Amino acid sequence: MQKHHTFKLKPLAAATGAALMVGFGAGAVRAADNLPDLGSSGGQPWRVDTFYENDTHYRDDTGLSKFRNTVQIEADKDLGGNSTFSSIKFRSKLRGTYDGVYSMNSDKYGKDAGGPIRLENGRPGVDYGPNIGAPPGVPFLQGTAPVAHGSGPINYTNATGLLTGAYMAAGVPAGPAAGLAATNNFADAYPTNPNNGMIVLGKYLHNTNGGVAFGVPQAPCDYDKRGCIKDYMDANSHELASPEFNDRLDFIREAFFVAKMPAGEGRSWNFQLGKQQVVWGRTDLFRVLDVINPVDYSRNNIYDELQDIRIPMWIFTAEYRMGATNTFDDTNIQLVWNFDKFRPNNLGQGGTPNQILGAGDFFRGMKNLWDNGGTVANFAGADPTGGIATNFGAHQIGIRKAHMPEWSLENTQVGIKWEGVYQGTGFSLNALTYRSQLPSLRNLYSKGVTNVNPFTSGGPFVLAPGQTTATYPYNIAFDIYFPRINLVGGSMDMQLDSIKSSLRVETALTKGEEFANTAKPELYSESKVWRYVIGLDRPTFIPFLNENRAFLLSAQLFGQHLLDHEEHRGPWGKYGMPDWEHNHIGTFLIKGWYMNDRVSPQIIMARDFQAHSYVVAPSVEWLYSDNLKLTFGANVKGGDGARSWNDARDGNPFPPYSGAQGGRNPMEQGMVGLTGYEPLGRFRAGPIGMANKEDEVSITVRYKF
Amino acid sequence: MKKTVFKLSILAAAVLSAGLAAAATPDEIIDNSFYPYKKGFPSHAFVKPGVVINKSNVDQAKDVLDPAMYQVIKNGDYEITVGATTSFDLHKNYVDQTRAGLGKVKLGEKNGEIVGYVAGRAFPEEPDLKDPRAGEKLAWNYKYGINWGDSAMISPFYWKYRKVETGKIETVNKFGFHFLNYKHRVVIPPVPDITPNPSNLFRGIYMKVYEPLDIKDTQLLIHRYDDDLKQDDANLYLGFQRRVRRLATGQVTDSFLGSDLMIEDFEGYNGRVSDMKWTFKGTGTILMAYYNHNDQKQLSTEFKEKDGYQYVEFGGKGGCYPLVTWQLRQVYILESTPTDPNHPISKRIQYMDKQAATLSRTLIYDRKGELWKNFIIGKSHPDHHLPVNKGSGISIDDAFSMVDQQSKHCTTGQFRGEVSKEASPPSMFTVQHMRGAN
Repeated sequence: MQKHHTFKLKPLAAATGAALMVGFGAGAVRAADNLPDLGSSGGQPWRVDTFYENDTHYRDDTGLSKFRNTVQIEADKDLGGNSTFSSIKFRSKLRGTYDGVYSMNSDKYGKDAGGPIRLENGRPGVDYGPNIGAPPGVPFLQGTAPVAHGSGPINYTNATGLLTGAYMAAGVPAGPAAGLAATNNFADAYPTNPNNGMIVLGKYLHNTNGGVAFGVPQAPCDYDKRGCIKDYMDANSHELASPEFNDRLDFIREAFFVAKMPAGEGRSWNFQLGKQQVVWGRTDLFRVLDVINPVDYSRNNIYDELQDIRIPMWIFTAEYRMGATNTFDDTNIQLVWNFDKFRPNNLGQGGTPNQILGAGDFFRGMKNLWDNGGTVANFAGADPTGGIATNFGAHQIGIRKAHMPEWSLENTQVGIKWEGVYQGTGFSLNALTYRSQLPSLRNLYSKGVTNVNPFTSGGPFVLAPGQTTATYPYNIAFDIYFPRINLVGGSMDMQLDSIKSSLRVETALTKGEEFANTAKPELYSESKVWRYVIGLDRPTFIPFLNENRAFLLSAQLFGQHLLDHEEHRGPWGKYGMPDWEHNHIGTFLIKGWYMNDRVSPQIIMARDFQAHSYVVAPSVEWLYSDNLKLTFGANVKGGDGARSWNDARDGNPFPPYSGAQGGRNPMEQGMVGLTGYEPLGRFRAGPIGMANKEDEVSITVRYKF
Repeated sequence: MKKTVFKLSILAAAVLSAGLAAAATPDEIIDNSFYPYKKGFPSHAFVKPGVVINKSNVDQAKDVLDPAMYQVIKNGDYEITVGATTSFDLHKNYVDQTRAGLGKVKLGEKNGEIVGYVAGRAFPEEPDLKDPRAGEKLAWNYKYGINWGDSAMISPFYWKYRKVETGKIETVNKFGFHFLNYKHRVVIPPVPDITPNPSNLFRGIYMKVYEPLDIKDTQLLIHRYDDDLKQDDANLYLGFQRRVRRLATGQVTDSFLGSDLMIEDFEGYNGRVSDMKWTFKGTGTILMAYYNHNDQKQLSTEFKEKDGYQYVEFGGKGGCYPLVTWQLRQVYILESTPTDPNHPISKRIQYMDKQAATLSRTLIYDRKGELWKNFIIGKSHPDHHLPVNKGSGISIDDAFSMVDQQSKHCTTGQFRGEVSKEASPPSMFTVQHMRGAN
């Protein structure tokens, strides 16, 4: 979950519905004429630009995936100066959107989304009884065709039979004779989690293929509250369609003052205060140093311009500009204080069209499992061929809650940057302490939080005297946290005249990031991470395509290295941290211009080398006039798509019942390497691989009033 | 006919330079270089103030037109109204600095090397056709020319992209351009240099886009080093990315924001001396767009300014040509050939105004050697422009036209230029300024 990389591809797009918003836009322009003077008696008049945009995307297997209408007003005013500040300026951007996809394609992304589901129940004909210590031939431990949600053979009734000892292997204490209640906490039915309005986790990307799967509610949270995570992923249909109109006032994209205070000898202080984006770094597409603002992947996954998806925060910056010194051509120091209440990246909610790494569906399904229980495919007695679908009850597995950091001084985020130019080479040194914008899943055991043991009504196999509940190492029950991260890094750029290119380098080392790790009883661990991007830009004439205008060729290589990576090999496969220890993503852009830059075709390609995934995104921008721009595009992925990783079915959190796989001692805990696409394969597949089936064509119309 | 003009010019240059060489006192050199009209203005049997040169009579003016402009008029694309030749006296300090440096400045061994230069015109002596490096000396005169002076601003600066055949205006860009000389300053304090200047920068150009929305807030910063062998640094801030991108060398020889200009075309030539092989081809007297802005009969009413300033109007075919008066000017004819074999052009033929050392007429040839672009820069006398420019001794860039003869497309520029210290402080010419939401 901690992959901090992203890359943008220009919004793909083009041509409908402009008339819908023309009236609103024109009204906005008129209103701008009457904007307040902000206390300035001098300065310049307001400068206001307003545009309307329709962005329509059509996806291969789900049809319409975006019909987003945007009105954006950019209003700036120079307020002049006073005795303290030589200049004061106000900058603002207001944005409102309405995405019609939730009503126009409601059976995929709206109130009618999802339906009844069936979940894999092992491979037909395979007897999974021995894997849990039962004798061969127990009827409900035989693999069958997929079963309906709620019909997992491991349920209250059947598990009761197991726990009475009827089927347990010799030597395994069971039933009342061993002091256990002849009961359990599996479910026979789910009155609060009916089999409708759901999809099987990962449905659009892969088959379950013997791995883990469960139902994921799809409708917005005002239609279906199942799996909605309070304060994190709980948007209703209005908030999904018009995300800016929320209690964080996101329709104010930006509103900040810029004040410049002379400090003598050509030096100055530059202050910025307000809701804003603060951008660090020198590279495109990837976020190595550019991590001050969280980003909103729900707009268009990783494919929108960062400017449009950074989530502006209330930030104060103070910058001391020293100008040229005897050593540096230019140098400055910037202090950044992000004093806003914490906000995570928006990863896209379950049931919505844009979810980076498919995280939204996974989280929603897991939250639903915790709240209501649910059937999990191929779970009990699982081996590499599958397992028996299991009806977990509530509060046994899943995601319990998200711990959203409250506002406090210690929860604010502080950074400092020293930047300059030395002998023509631009450089920066950066340091930032911030909250991870990506979630970390720490299991309840790691925090001493108890959960229900599905096999007994009271606790682990053997409870201490007086103990009624317990925590369970390796159990897949989690809370979501956003840990603090400390980052140090730097960047530089320079011209390489010999190859007529410019070079950009950006790097960062972080401490505090947390990653899934099935080798740990906590199911996560911390790792220092080193990331870098090396970029080369080269304008190049390609005469047979255009004799008079060079093409921009831009190549970048992004590297990510987990310095505390952990990986082991068990009898059935690898386990540990699913994120690659060393991975690289390469991007290549070729962009051309014709008709005096009124027509600009481009192709962006990206390849995730370890994930064996790639994306090709051709697009053509057509500037019909200064006021009207059309963009046509496509986004095609290829490669392996889904990838597998140890899925933690084999941790044996509830010994002896959950861990006799492969004939091991049923009291032994820890993974043996059972793998599947879900849930951790997403970290192997990466954001490109996880969107493998989300090929799209798009058309965007932007009209400036 | 072109050859004839050249032959005449070359002959004239040879005679003139021989004469000057024989009796070149410092005063004569200075007068010849900075006050070429002291002894009288050029005259012509047909080309007189008030005459309108059009396709019906252009042949009578052929000997005072460069070949490209002759053809434009011959085609009926443009008519030139002749104005009286006037003296564009440069600032006294610049002339004084030139005088102080007389005889002390030498070319180095390599193209791009100069020795002994402090300020003013580097090589005020009359160029000699027999001098194989005469063109290079003129190039230095241009590089260290007074141009926009020590600090200046063009804002607003309107660029229009037009189709020649239909006159359709495809886009209107509104820019702000700022210029700063770090070294060899002569008028605006500090002189001669801004310090500290650890990398020994010579000049900075900063540009910002205000309109249209598509490229709004795009900014460009160019740093030119005093060491001409050192490559310029160029950085581009893209508003939609909020990121500064270092430009590779090649991007200064590519279309600038879709216009018919490349960054290298700015001001006539915006590159290093060492990027070209310079050849002095002779002298001449031709019509160039030099005029008094305030005296132009037809100024544009399109863009309103609070102080009533009006921009130059454009007309002619496609609206590609400035409707200003042209006057007879003494020029040096200069040919520049790129040293980079992959450069998109094969050569420029430029007509350098002898008095101002500016490149007001440029003919650009494509890699096949065919005429590609026709570049006009209109120059206003500073005393007949905005009040702030009065007495600045700088010929004010006031209008430009770059016509792509092959694609039938043009870019026109309408300036509001001000010689100003306050509008172009050194802090503006930094990468951080571009990032700072300014």
